[in-house]
Amino acid sequence: MGMVSNTILVVDDDGINRGILRNLFSAQYEVDEAENGREGLEKILTGPEAYCAVLLDVVMPEMDGLEVLRRLEAMGYTQRLPVFLITAETGDATMKEAYRMGVMDVIGKPVVPYVVQRRINSVVELFRARKRLGDVVEQQQSELLQQARKIIQLNQGMIEALATAIEFRNGESGGHVKRIHDITSLLLTGTELGSGISSREVEQIALASIMHDVGKIAIPDAILNKPGRLTPEEFEVMKTHTIQGALMLERVPQLRDSEAYHYACDIARHHHERWDGGGYPDGLRGDEISLWAQIVSLADVYDALICKRVYKDALPRETVLDMIRQGQCGAFNPRLLQSFFSVEERIFQMYKKE
Amino acid sequence: MEEKIRCRLKDGGIAVDGLLERLMGSEALLEQFLKKFLTDPNYEALCRAWEAGDEAGAVAPAHTLKGMCGNLSMTDLYELTGRLVLALRAGDRQEAGQLMPCVQREYRRAAEAIRACWP
Repeated sequence: MGMVSNTILVVDDDGINRGILRNLFSAQYEVDEAENGREGLEKILTGPEAYCAVLLDVVMPEMDGLEVLRRLEAMGYTQRLPVFLITAETGDATMKEAYRMGVMDVIGKPVVPYVVQRRINSVVELFRARKRLGDVVEQQQSELLQQARKIIQLNQGMIEALATAIEFRNGESGGHVKRIHDITSLLLTGTELGSGISSREVEQIALASIMHDVGKIAIPDAILNKPGRLTPEEFEVMKTHTIQGALMLERVPQLRDSEAYHYACDIARHHHERWDGGGYPDGLRGDEISLWAQIVSLADVYDALICKRVYKDALPRETVLDMIRQGQCGAFNPRLLQSFFSVEERIFQMYKKE
Repeated sequence: MEEKIRCRLKDGGIAVDGLLERLMGSEALLEQFLKKFLTDPNYEALCRAWEAGDEAGAVAPAHTLKGMCGNLSMTDLYELTGRLVLALRAGDRQEAGQLMPCVQREYRRAAEAIRACWP
């Protein structure tokens, strides 16, 4: 919390007046003085937080009190710092003008001690209470935001942990899901594929992409980790990881409330569909396949080829790009391929860093 | 406060009790401020401006003098200087001309009382 000032600034050209006010307030406050309006204004502008109240005379040389007030008001200071006019000019016009400019109170001269003390003390206390309350609210707000951020991070962490655990069975290091996340995000933010999709949605889609292979938890080890080619029967079992994944995600009630839920189910089920309709499990064709499922599908193929997997060694980058271009590893949307190749250099850099 | 001083100041037109209250009972400040009143240049400035026929130039010192008298509980002088300021501002030379001798008389009365208390 910020320090609350306990200093009153007395702006008056009359030394006796300053002396009287200093004497009145010195038991409770620190008192600072200025001999004219200009000096007073300069002191306030140097550090408005240094004062808890300003007592301002009206008729002064250099700059009069109303002008000081006018400048303070123009800069919005009268909202934070209570300003009192201490004046013999209690004429209607002066008072009206002063109140219009945000003066807290107008106190007649010569001052009556208990009146001026009471009025100023209660306003200073009010401003302090308001500031304390404001500080508390601000503090609580930032704590809430921090907690919300932590929950989001924890959420993402749990999802990543689940996906990584499944990958581990598959003999992967754990980097795969992270890379799929990053490639998905890059294709949506760095190419025209993402036009019309908000950054918030992109985040949710990228988060959902992490869960594309969760269905593999239902695939037996013998099939999942088989070093050689799968038999047709084994491949049929392997293919069920798409449907199993979507079913699993549907059974997590907390996930259903999440904005990523529909993306996650869609991606888990359809990341092995093909643009030409030859994929599984539903044989969707062309735009029947959602953009995000298409993106994850391509990212998955690229990552599999670039990295060493349990059943094969890594391939040179040029070979991988040729294979994708020539449709040896699936049939993809031409628009998707075009966008992919436009940022492939940046994607490849991710692998160099690892 | 010595009764002798209290009476002498009252004779000079100074409402001592009100002044002491304004000063939170500080007799030291009372003495300091009353002595300061004697050396303050505004009264001299007012007289000079008035004698020179400079009514506009008399407004500022008259105003300051009035404020001081109010603060120092010089009841009559405060009232007179208040009227003088209004007359000068309104350019009412005749009214101001009638008030000036009264202001001067009351000023001398207060000043003499103060000098008598702290020679």
